[in-house]
Amino acid sequence: MAGLALGAVEARAQAQDEIVLGGSIPLTGVFAFAGVGIHAGIQDYLKLVNDEGGIKGRKIRYVAEDTGYKVDASVAAFNKITSQNKVTLYYGDSTGFAKTINPELERKGTMIMAGASFASELNDPKKFPLQFLPGPDYTEMFGILMRYIAKEKPGASVAFVYSDTEFGRDPIAPSEKLATELGLKVAEKIVTPPGSVDVSTEVLKLRRARPDYTIFHGYVLAPIPEFIQQAKQMGMQSRFMGTFWSMDNSMVQQMGEAADGFMGVMPYRYYYDKEGTSPMLDKIRQMRPEYQSTAYMQGFLTAMLMTEAVKRTLDAGKELTGTNMKASLNTIKDFDTGGIVGVPVSIPGNSLPVGRIYRFDAKQKQMLPASDWIQLGK
Amino acid sequence: MDWLYIFEVSLAGLGAGALYALTGVAFVLIYKATRVVNLAIGEILMLGGYVFFGLVAGAGLSVWAAIPLTILAGAGLGAVVERALIRPMLGESPISVFMVTIGLGSILAGLVELGWGADPLRLPEFIPNTPIFLGEAYVAPKVAYGALVAALLIAGALAALRFSRGGVALRATARDQGAAYSMGIDVGRVFSLSWMAACATAAGAGVIVGAIGGISPTMGIFGLSVLVVVIVGGLDSVAGALVGGLLIGLVEALAGSFLGGEYKLLATFSLLILILMIRPYGIFGTHEIERL
Repeated sequence: MAGLALGAVEARAQAQDEIVLGGSIPLTGVFAFAGVGIHAGIQDYLKLVNDEGGIKGRKIRYVAEDTGYKVDASVAAFNKITSQNKVTLYYGDSTGFAKTINPELERKGTMIMAGASFASELNDPKKFPLQFLPGPDYTEMFGILMRYIAKEKPGASVAFVYSDTEFGRDPIAPSEKLATELGLKVAEKIVTPPGSVDVSTEVLKLRRARPDYTIFHGYVLAPIPEFIQQAKQMGMQSRFMGTFWSMDNSMVQQMGEAADGFMGVMPYRYYYDKEGTSPMLDKIRQMRPEYQSTAYMQGFLTAMLMTEAVKRTLDAGKELTGTNMKASLNTIKDFDTGGIVGVPVSIPGNSLPVGRIYRFDAKQKQMLPASDWIQLGK
Repeated sequence: MDWLYIFEVSLAGLGAGALYALTGVAFVLIYKATRVVNLAIGEILMLGGYVFFGLVAGAGLSVWAAIPLTILAGAGLGAVVERALIRPMLGESPISVFMVTIGLGSILAGLVELGWGADPLRLPEFIPNTPIFLGEAYVAPKVAYGALVAALLIAGALAALRFSRGGVALRATARDQGAAYSMGIDVGRVFSLSWMAACATAAGAGVIVGAIGGISPTMGIFGLSVLVVVIVGGLDSVAGALVGGLLIGLVEALAGSFLGGEYKLLATFSLLILILMIRPYGIFGTHEIERL
């Protein structure tokens, strides 16, 4: 009897000791292709940490709920998870959720949050003091792409093709400004209604503009392949580029013929990338012998950065409050991600402004590096 | 004025419109016979795309064997849905039946996600890919062939409605159920037949739409744009679906290229309001339509 009671006390002590990473994860719905990868990535990284005894002996427990990529379901999941657990870290699934939950996050002041959104708006430490982006924001992604373009072909003309959604419109206005600064010409901006299937009229418009480079944003797959195919048939010579969410290797493979030469910006290394030493990628390949998506890498790195912030806060002997953890996160400078990102990373503000240009090689059926790592602000 | 550009844009718009029209026909067939607004038609279209994908990529069938099988599967689904879900709702308020079809849509999207996962997929290339030029004007080959097939299917549907026994029975039932029944027409079978024909059409449309834009569990949204088409054309008129589809396709294309993509939906819905103000029952609709 006494032993039983003791066991219960011990269990409670352990429960108090553990650190909880909560998550509103889109395991179903339009964003499920990413949510499934993110979910696995977070779990795998936490497993690695816990197998080595956790952070200063404290294990990390992952509590996730499916949201279907709906803001109300996301908020409900947040309320449920935070009321049943003492949550220190949180993963949110969308820009909408990140903005909605922000006041509550600040009121609670007990956690830091990151998520699947790379919205430029979130990259503002004043407005979103307890959040961060585990990569460049969408405007920074355009910045990386256009720096590459300006170097490859000074004075080139570019076209932006984007979906008429918050996601799609995000980087357009500031990127136009940046293009002028870099000496590039924005030849055309084409916006497509969300969920549109047929893009023939848009391709006709693109042909009239004759851009050297075309950047797609706000899509995952459709309508990019059809767009490229028709443009190529009309004899267009433009190079086609994408941003993070349309850059997963299995996604690009599905573009068929259109994939050949498709380029884009990626802050993480691909699963199959064996260049140099990358202990973390080796571990991932060991745990999961089959290809893992870039969304997986995103979840994996997010968990890594979050636990690093916790570790640094505990090392400094400070309490695990949101402000303390965010301050610790911002001390991350030239941090080695074990090969997930190809260069040491720093988080001076709310984002990780680094990325590399990759190009799809039709023979190897893989995205391969087309540039060095490009770090903004350096 | 760049006439070639306008001509090319109009052709592209008509091509897209043909697909709207085809899916619109699926809406109309069901509404005409059974007075049910089937909001799941977009999801049935999606399922058609996935069945085709499964048959070709999964079972390794040739494309030309897979297309008829997909259409048959659509017909089968229509028969099952009508018998199991819609027939028992006979006599319930239209809103209830309407809700059943919304639920059916969610179930189909969920099943597809369970079976094939949530990732967007591309159908194997089977539509000829050589660029088509009408004079100097470029037409995207997939859109052109898609429109051609849609036109043939719609012509087939019109002919069947006019000349076949089933078509006559369907029109009779649509005109007056009681009279049709007393003349010995098996109204239950007509209901079943209309669902089968509509779902087969939708499944076929799914193959074409999927070949152009790829497939994903969320492609059912396409059905929603088609709802606009049939409301404009008239919910119970096949000719209305045809004209409405082409009209909406054309308006979208012109608005998209001369005003900008963000005006596409604005133009479409402005047209919808305008038509509803002038002709509340759609361009070719009959007046007794029940509004939901």
